[in-house]
Amino acid sequence: MLLSWWKILGILILLYVVIGGLSVPLNPGITDLNPGQLYAGQQKEVTITAYNTHFKTAQPTRIWLKSAEGKFLEAQNVQILTENKLTCHWDIAKNMEGQQYTVIGYNNIDGSFLVPDGIVILKNDSAEEANTAEAQFTDVNTADFVKPSGLRFPYRSILNETIRNTFFHVALWMAMFVLYLLGLYHAIQYLRTGKNEHDWWSVAYNKSGILYGILGLITGSLWARFTWGGWWTNDVKLNMAALSMFLYFGYLLLRNSFNDAEARARISASFSIFAFVALIPLVFIIPRLTDSLHPGNGGNPALGGEDLDHTLRLFFYPSILALILLGCWMAQLKFRMQKLAIKAGIYT
Amino acid sequence: MPDHSFKCIMWSSIALLMFPYTASAEVSDLDFLRSTGKIYSVIAGVVIVLLGIGVYLWRIDNKLTKLEKQIKDEHETN
Repeated sequence: MLLSWWKILGILILLYVVIGGLSVPLNPGITDLNPGQLYAGQQKEVTITAYNTHFKTAQPTRIWLKSAEGKFLEAQNVQILTENKLTCHWDIAKNMEGQQYTVIGYNNIDGSFLVPDGIVILKNDSAEEANTAEAQFTDVNTADFVKPSGLRFPYRSILNETIRNTFFHVALWMAMFVLYLLGLYHAIQYLRTGKNEHDWWSVAYNKSGILYGILGLITGSLWARFTWGGWWTNDVKLNMAALSMFLYFGYLLLRNSFNDAEARARISASFSIFAFVALIPLVFIIPRLTDSLHPGNGGNPALGGEDLDHTLRLFFYPSILALILLGCWMAQLKFRMQKLAIKAGIYT
Repeated sequence: MPDHSFKCIMWSSIALLMFPYTASAEVSDLDFLRSTGKIYSVIAGVVIVLLGIGVYLWRIDNKLTKLEKQIKDEHETN
């Protein structure tokens, strides 16, 4: 019981991750701007659909267009429709043509929320021009904005609530990698010492890793369906991850094709070293060299900043730890079973 | 042992190969999973992870039962 404390720890951390990771609310954000294109010299009503906001219960919500220079143009005539929907008017001046503006909203309950480059001002080709005056840009001190209290995950458009998948999808791959690393260590130790225990450990860790890899592919596919739009996109990281899974499937098939225990152990140890060495360029190098939708690949910024801010880290790192502990537990069960079978003289 | 994991690998491989072809077949019967900021797709992900670990443990359990039986049989024959 005392020696198994880490198993209990694994379950407790996983519980913490599942409960906390699902119950911490998301920051408010803007899901839709209609229309997203305005014409210079026009007055236009824009409908803003938001998420997790409290337009009705909050003090009046104010909306601005923020220029690249950091100047603010406040919207007129803000009409609250529901907690998450409002309409507002902007007088778009001639000199705003051809620029992109960030849309920022603020109220006392939700704090500030924004869409970077949410509105584009296009050239007005029609003859009827109403507004020739300069736009009334002002300075707004965003430091005065009240920040809502409590823990909140960042709001990212498209991702929405699925940003929580960081704990359940990304962490799986990290844990898988650690388990394969442990499998690799024992494979090398087997080749060095020839002790059967190392072979059993190696295959047990690799099997836990393969389980996480399969789950990682399935959860990733599900995530892709709701963000990128397809169960399987031609993203290089996906295909390379699938390929590395096939390598490890090959490892299992290879193991099962031997009758002689020693030959099986030796060849499969060598193969698992090869599979791990192939895994690194497949998953970590090639996707970085080409285009990929994954963060940190194909010129995308790596996990960090808003994608993995401190609130996400609070659950992301524990999740990796919990999955590693559970993976080690499953590997240990496999190992003990193998040991028992050998002890009883049963060949498996 | 060989027969079981072979089947498992075969089906996983077929499922993996099928992925690109199922992509366009689905249209949009997934509105439920997309509601409330796609939270239910996250729940589905959590369920998959827990189910996956559960199924793996179930298989270990089954193999252990078989092993126990074998050991018991051997004791009786000796």
